[in-house]
Amino acid sequence: MTSQPIPPSSLPSFSKASEPMIKVEGLRKSFNGREVLKGISFEVFPGEMLAIIGPSGCGKSTLLKLITGLLEPDAGKITLNSEQIGLVFQGSALLNSLTVRENLALALRERKLPKREQDKAIMEDLTLVGLADYIDSFPTQLSGGQQKRTSFARAIVNDPQIILYDEPTTGLDPVMSTVIEDYMIELEKQLHAAGIVVTHQFSTWTRTAHRAILLNQGVVVWEGKPHEALNSTNPYIIQFAKATREGPMLAGKV
Amino acid sequence: MQASDAKKLAASPYLLVEDWVSIGVRLAGQVGIVIAKTFYYLLRLQIDWQESIRQAYFIGVKSFLIVSLTALFTGLAMSLQIAIQLVQFGGESAIGGVVSLALIRQIGPITAAIIVAGRVGSSIAAELTTMNVSEQIDALKVMRIDPIKFLVVPRFVGAMMMMPVLSIYAMFIGIFAGMVIALVYADVSFGVFLDSAKAMVIDQDFFVHFLKAFINAAIVIFYSCAIGLNTRGGAADVGNAVTRSVVWSMTVMFIVNYIVTDLTYEGPR
Amino acid sequence: MDRPNGITVANPLTLLDKYLGIVLQLVGQATIMFLQTMRYIFRGELSLSEAFRQANMIGLGSLYVVGVTGLFTGFAMSLQISKELAAFGADTAVGGVVALALIREIGPITAGVMVAGRVGSAMAAELSSMVVSEQIDALKIMRVDPVQFLVVPRFLAALVMMPALSIYSMFLGLGGAIFIAQAKANIPPETFLDSVKQTVVGTDFITHIIKSLVFATIIIFFSCSIGLSARGGAEDVGHATTRAVVWTMTIIFIVNYIITALSPLHAS
Repeated sequence: MTSQPIPPSSLPSFSKASEPMIKVEGLRKSFNGREVLKGISFEVFPGEMLAIIGPSGCGKSTLLKLITGLLEPDAGKITLNSEQIGLVFQGSALLNSLTVRENLALALRERKLPKREQDKAIMEDLTLVGLADYIDSFPTQLSGGQQKRTSFARAIVNDPQIILYDEPTTGLDPVMSTVIEDYMIELEKQLHAAGIVVTHQFSTWTRTAHRAILLNQGVVVWEGKPHEALNSTNPYIIQFAKATREGPMLAGKV
Repeated sequence: MQASDAKKLAASPYLLVEDWVSIGVRLAGQVGIVIAKTFYYLLRLQIDWQESIRQAYFIGVKSFLIVSLTALFTGLAMSLQIAIQLVQFGGESAIGGVVSLALIRQIGPITAAIIVAGRVGSSIAAELTTMNVSEQIDALKVMRIDPIKFLVVPRFVGAMMMMPVLSIYAMFIGIFAGMVIALVYADVSFGVFLDSAKAMVIDQDFFVHFLKAFINAAIVIFYSCAIGLNTRGGAADVGNAVTRSVVWSMTVMFIVNYIVTDLTYEGPR
Repeated sequence: MDRPNGITVANPLTLLDKYLGIVLQLVGQATIMFLQTMRYIFRGELSLSEAFRQANMIGLGSLYVVGVTGLFTGFAMSLQISKELAAFGADTAVGGVVALALIREIGPITAGVMVAGRVGSAMAAELSSMVVSEQIDALKIMRVDPVQFLVVPRFLAALVMMPALSIYSMFLGLGGAIFIAQAKANIPPETFLDSVKQTVVGTDFITHIIKSLVFATIIIFFSCSIGLSARGGAEDVGHATTRAVVWTMTIIFIVNYIITALSPLHAS
């Protein structure tokens, strides 16, 4: 995996001229006295995809929960320029008691669309992820990959200005990972939203993101463009990208 | 969890008691929040009736068979003990009244409630904890849907609709069991049994019966929902949540059952 | 499209057939497990230290639930009975009636139901999550029989702890009953206890102990066989735990009546 060349970025461009869509300043969070995030700051612009990468337990999932408001920070500030947020969960997190249509309608309910327009929006959305035939199925009747795509559809049905991915390809086979990554790139083109992807999957952050930040034990240890990662002199990103034992991360811990 | 309990007991029994009390207080706080929010939505009539009826249906279907069986066998055992006592004193004609009174006021409501706690409460705790573990609750929150309004309110309304039905049904089965025992063991005909029941049971008894049924249903729903919504982790935690909800709702019901008995007692017949 | 957990109207006969199948399968599994357990016990292939650890957990885990429910059952029983009987001038009979009910009927069933809720459900949760996380498969690959390793010590522990918990619950119930009789119906503790002594006979205690041993057996074998036959993920652990609670309680209520009907009964 690590020996493969990093693919050239064919991602849609974005401009830093406008206001950042997501602005995070000096974020801190502790659980039971253990500080998981020790002052994190970054910005994401409309149309940009930022990858947050790092080893297990580095605090990246916590960071995402703080941005979505599922957790409250101990210190620091999060500024979101839009109320429309889409979140793709690590599991698919679809409500098992509702059909695919009802799951998507739940995300649309604040728009109070007439029934026909709502159905049209849902249908368009499902067509995009290739699941139009499954509109009246229940999540338990779908395969793992189909559930994942449905949760994609749910996250984007509202045309969000901010889209967040929590480990979107973890646990998937390589082919399905590529399919999901292609959807992510396709969405960047269509939505022009500000995106954050939390992942430790090499292909995911190198293929889908404009920029990446590497977290280790709650602090940012590297920031840069994915295709520059392997040429970097930073020992953290070299170790992470090449997946070697030797390096500053987890030294003496394993 | 239990292994550390053993260590704490070895160190000092006070530590264990302190643990239990703090868990109880925290849980009571969580239950309090769930109750407050549920009534906030109820009073504003923000109720999904379709979902409530679906929940009522589940509660009824899930409990129907097991309530029948337990009501039947509780009725049999109770009546047997009472009949033997009364026959000794030549009080055969009173069997109907005493059995009916015991079933309507005490044994009926608590038995139905235990079964609903075991059947409905445990499956609600399992369902909501599973939703929490698989991030479905988080997904609701991200879409700005209050899980209490979406999940708890319909379950509460459903339970309030179904509980009186289950309770009356259990009572009838229990009394029927009593009639059979009275006939077989004490040679008391159905007619004599029912006459005695009619003479001794008053409207107030049914009021107590329904009061207890509603309160017990509320305890089961609020405890199992509060535990389900506040448990995270993995597969093992889903199981633990079920255990916790069964244990807590039953314990609280036994205590509240006594308090209601005490407050509604209006003197001997 | 069929709603997996939605409203479907089934043919009552199909439903009966389904339930009957489930019951037979479950009773079969529990019986086989019981026989396997007895074989290990008779051969002496058991770990007493693990049994002791389990006994510790069962006792400690149930101590407060069984205590609180026993106490409040005693309160409620005594409130109703002592006021009724005192009104007829039968103060001297209160102790006997309350004690008989607590020892023969209400005490064992309350303790049984609480232990089913506390211990049975915890065991089903523990074993089914061991299945789901492949720990049971790991045991089998190492040629360790899960019944010998997990069920035998739990059964031995429950046989010892259940009568102890039941008697403990009964004494708390009696204590509560004496307190309420005095507080609410002015019946002095001495009168109460005299009546208990005159009424309760040895066989009542034997019935009590037999019930608690049978309930312990039901709780262990049903919850362990439900736990070990679980498959799937987190959701299935929840289902297994719920099933264990429902089945053990229902069977306890049924078996309770059978033992009551078979036991030597006498009036107070």
